[in-house]
Amino acid sequence: MIKLKGMYDSMLRCIISEDMDAVDFVKEFDEVRGKGKRFLPGAKVVLDFGARPLSEELIRDIMSDLVWSSGMYVAAWITYDAATQDLLKRIGLPTSEPAPSARTNERALGGTLLLQRSLRSGQRVEHAGDVIVAGHVNDGAEVLASGHVTVLGRLNGLVHAGNNGDETASVIARSMEALQVRIGTKIGSLDRDERWWGKMVIVRVSEGSVFIDYWPAVKSENRDENAG
Amino acid sequence: MTARVIVVTSGKGGVGKTTATANLAAALANMGKKVVAVDGDVGLRNLDVIMGLENRIVYTLIDALDGTCRLNQTFIRDKRIENLFMIPTAQSRTKDAVTAEQMIEVCDELRREFDYVLVDSPAGIEAGFRNSAAGADEALVVTTPEVSAVRDADRIIGLLESMNKSPIRLIVNRIRPHMVKKGDMLGVSDVLDILAIDLIGMVPDDEAVVTSSNKGEPLVLSSAPPAARAFRNIASRIAGSDVPFMNLELPDSGSLFGKIRRAIWGH
Repeated sequence: MIKLKGMYDSMLRCIISEDMDAVDFVKEFDEVRGKGKRFLPGAKVVLDFGARPLSEELIRDIMSDLVWSSGMYVAAWITYDAATQDLLKRIGLPTSEPAPSARTNERALGGTLLLQRSLRSGQRVEHAGDVIVAGHVNDGAEVLASGHVTVLGRLNGLVHAGNNGDETASVIARSMEALQVRIGTKIGSLDRDERWWGKMVIVRVSEGSVFIDYWPAVKSENRDENAG
Repeated sequence: MTARVIVVTSGKGGVGKTTATANLAAALANMGKKVVAVDGDVGLRNLDVIMGLENRIVYTLIDALDGTCRLNQTFIRDKRIENLFMIPTAQSRTKDAVTAEQMIEVCDELRREFDYVLVDSPAGIEAGFRNSAAGADEALVVTTPEVSAVRDADRIIGLLESMNKSPIRLIVNRIRPHMVKKGDMLGVSDVLDILAIDLIGMVPDDEAVVTSSNKGEPLVLSSAPPAARAFRNIASRIAGSDVPFMNLELPDSGSLFGKIRRAIWGH
């Protein structure tokens, strides 16, 4: 089913449920257009498809049956399917969660994206702001954020914090199992036999290099016990 | 009759999709169910060879879609097992010969005549996979305990979830308990930890699989090989029986089964 919710900056979020059958799209679009007859024309809307991949045909249908016919202004097309994001970008459509206008610089307060799921291989989250993943980032999944990234589960995939060049951004993972972490313009790499592997760590840039340390910082004599 | 339509898929090639399809189809038929196995791998068909039915192909699925024959003319009845049928596909065409809509129609037509429709999907995440999965309600994901296969399975599970297949269940194939014990191979619990879906079976690595594939005799027809028992157990679980998982633990290795049990039942 399709849900409409309010967001910051008087934007609307149109959530197209991942488990909705593709054959129901036409019917559901009709319903949304009917319900939003009065407020949809000119409204800024984020279309949120979850992890659903979109085909070119489907994008065309969404354009004609939802976007143009309702008169909405689409601020972003959100899907976690990386191939779909690439397709949308190729057409020139915005795929990144819009940053809240008044609070762009206060990223810790403003545009934090809390993702309550695990990202599977081939899924990607791009966000202007901080990202918290309440799940795992599996091998082959990607998280790109202009701010900090915190992974409450296992980090196997690729995280790029501060992806517009901000090297004050950091990455925290509850279980660090990624061979590479990117911050700003720097790339840090890790081997499986290093002591941080599988531990709770913070990764950040200091004096131009990528550093990794246990998080929270522990006293050296307790370190191995606590970490193990 | 309304069949359950199940797609057998993996992402990565060579992990045992076709072998699993053939053996599960044979095992289900042996249990008295009416089963058809559909080769969804247009252009690289293998199911006919593994089921030992290649010399009896007259019409293929593509012929039926082109209107050259009726769908039921493509059925090849297995002579060894009653109630077991297969639908071959064309080797001379490509994945573009079928559309998702056609696969849905085919599956809906088969649904009326069978208890189980198993669709063997090609490797990959492109049209071939999408078409084979299009008509299915449920999915079986086959993986081996290797990092690359698990990553591909993860990708496929993400796609199956967004295609609304349910349940999506996991078969971990080609387990070598010796290597797991030495820490040279991922254990089933590691795989489950990453993929986070329900396990429906574990199949030990077994040379008998290779021999049976080459001979075209489904393994489940012979009683001895451990892999045969594993596939029969999976078939029973598909049919809804609560069969305990095989103990792939080596004598005196304590933890594998315990770990699996914890992963599955949470204690």
